[in-house]
Amino acid sequence: MTHPLEPRLAAYIATRMPAASDIAVDALERISGGASRETYRFRLRWREDGAPRERQLILRRDPPASLIDTERRVEFEAYRAFAGSAVPVPEMLWLEEASNALDHPFFIAAELAGFQAAPQMLFSGGYDAVLPKVAERKWTILGEIARADPLALGLDKVMPAPAPGECWRKELAHWEAILDKDEAEPLPIARAAIRWLKANPPPPAQKLSVVHGDYRTGNFLFDAAGEIHGVLDWEMAHLGDPLEDLGWGFNPVWQFGRPGLEGGLVAKAEAIAIWERASGLKADPTALHWWTLFNCVKGQAIWVGSARAFIDGGNKEPIMVYPAWWLLNAQDRAILKVMGKL
Amino acid sequence: MTPDVPSVLSELAQLLMRNAVPGVPDAERASALGLSAMLLGLSAEVWDGAAHNLVAENRALRTLLGLSGQDDDLRLSALRAENERLRALLITAQIEAEASGDAALQDAIWAELRASTERRKLSISLV
Repeated sequence: MTHPLEPRLAAYIATRMPAASDIAVDALERISGGASRETYRFRLRWREDGAPRERQLILRRDPPASLIDTERRVEFEAYRAFAGSAVPVPEMLWLEEASNALDHPFFIAAELAGFQAAPQMLFSGGYDAVLPKVAERKWTILGEIARADPLALGLDKVMPAPAPGECWRKELAHWEAILDKDEAEPLPIARAAIRWLKANPPPPAQKLSVVHGDYRTGNFLFDAAGEIHGVLDWEMAHLGDPLEDLGWGFNPVWQFGRPGLEGGLVAKAEAIAIWERASGLKADPTALHWWTLFNCVKGQAIWVGSARAFIDGGNKEPIMVYPAWWLLNAQDRAILKVMGKL
Repeated sequence: MTPDVPSVLSELAQLLMRNAVPGVPDAERASALGLSAMLLGLSAEVWDGAAHNLVAENRALRTLLGLSGQDDDLRLSALRAENERLRALLITAQIEAEASGDAALQDAIWAELRASTERRKLSISLV
């Protein structure tokens, strides 16, 4: 059966591939998950230089309302900045910021097919032998992101560059404002954490880095040998303190019920050692604790935003409810744990 | 839970009706039904204890805050509204305890916050 987006997508791509003819889109299907963008895979077929061609592609389209509001250009440019580097990313093809073609802004990228992303798959038992390899690759790649020069990558043109001493204040203000805007009920635990964070600021960032913003188990593609083939979901990418990404991965909810294993993979000390080797940076324990607690607050703001999008009617998809029901209380418990109260 | 269970169930009912008709792409139908099933399961899990937990928590909060009163309206929406009122007061009380250095009250508040997460803890909780 033809998906209604297929002919519209084909018509759009025809405008971007003037040398191609007989452009057709088929096998379009929505990929589960993805509460911040609608993600579809599809096959593109066309003729060029007299020969038939085809390619598997990904469409990432803004939904009517999202659990996080981000600029798709930032995500697109972050992917492009790391193309061909030690940070594996899918190839970006076209960015469309207008809404006339597919009702909402979107971008199209090459599909990295044949790999897995789901933590449930990674921790199903079949990958146990390669979990140390996944951990090594996961924090090595994050170290490469931290080590990169955002100015040399040109990302300062699409992302504000805060002063090193202002990174924490900018991020905390941003996510506190989202909590203020979106909370549907009082959040005493998150509010207590915010007061602590303000009273105990971290030292200035040791360098200004690209921050992926959602670097965790579940947002990279892995294979049966434990190799990582693509880092996904850059929609919260920004410039800031490199410890921010490390702290997001240490948010206890991302242990996926495997206590004591960061990202469900290895002990914290091991993850830090891998990251420090790859990045050439140091993870000051006090600063990392601050960024870990901050990321628990950030997580809570995201889950609260998910609930708000449903409550206000902007997006009534069940994917907006699931993060809120699954994670709001777990995130509160994570805050308690990081603060030493649980 | 937030969003509240009745509003989610109402939306799931409509979603199931939309997916019961022919023409929905298979992958989208599977995704919608799978997520709906998980949400229905969580709704079932919290159903029996919801009123009990809210009454218990409201009672504990009133004691902690030195307030009188009780829950006469046992509808979940009313219990929840009272719970939100009390938790807002708890935030104020915690700020005041931090400012005054009242360590005993701070400890009591943290103990109640810890207990509140136990009341809300789901079988699928990651922490």
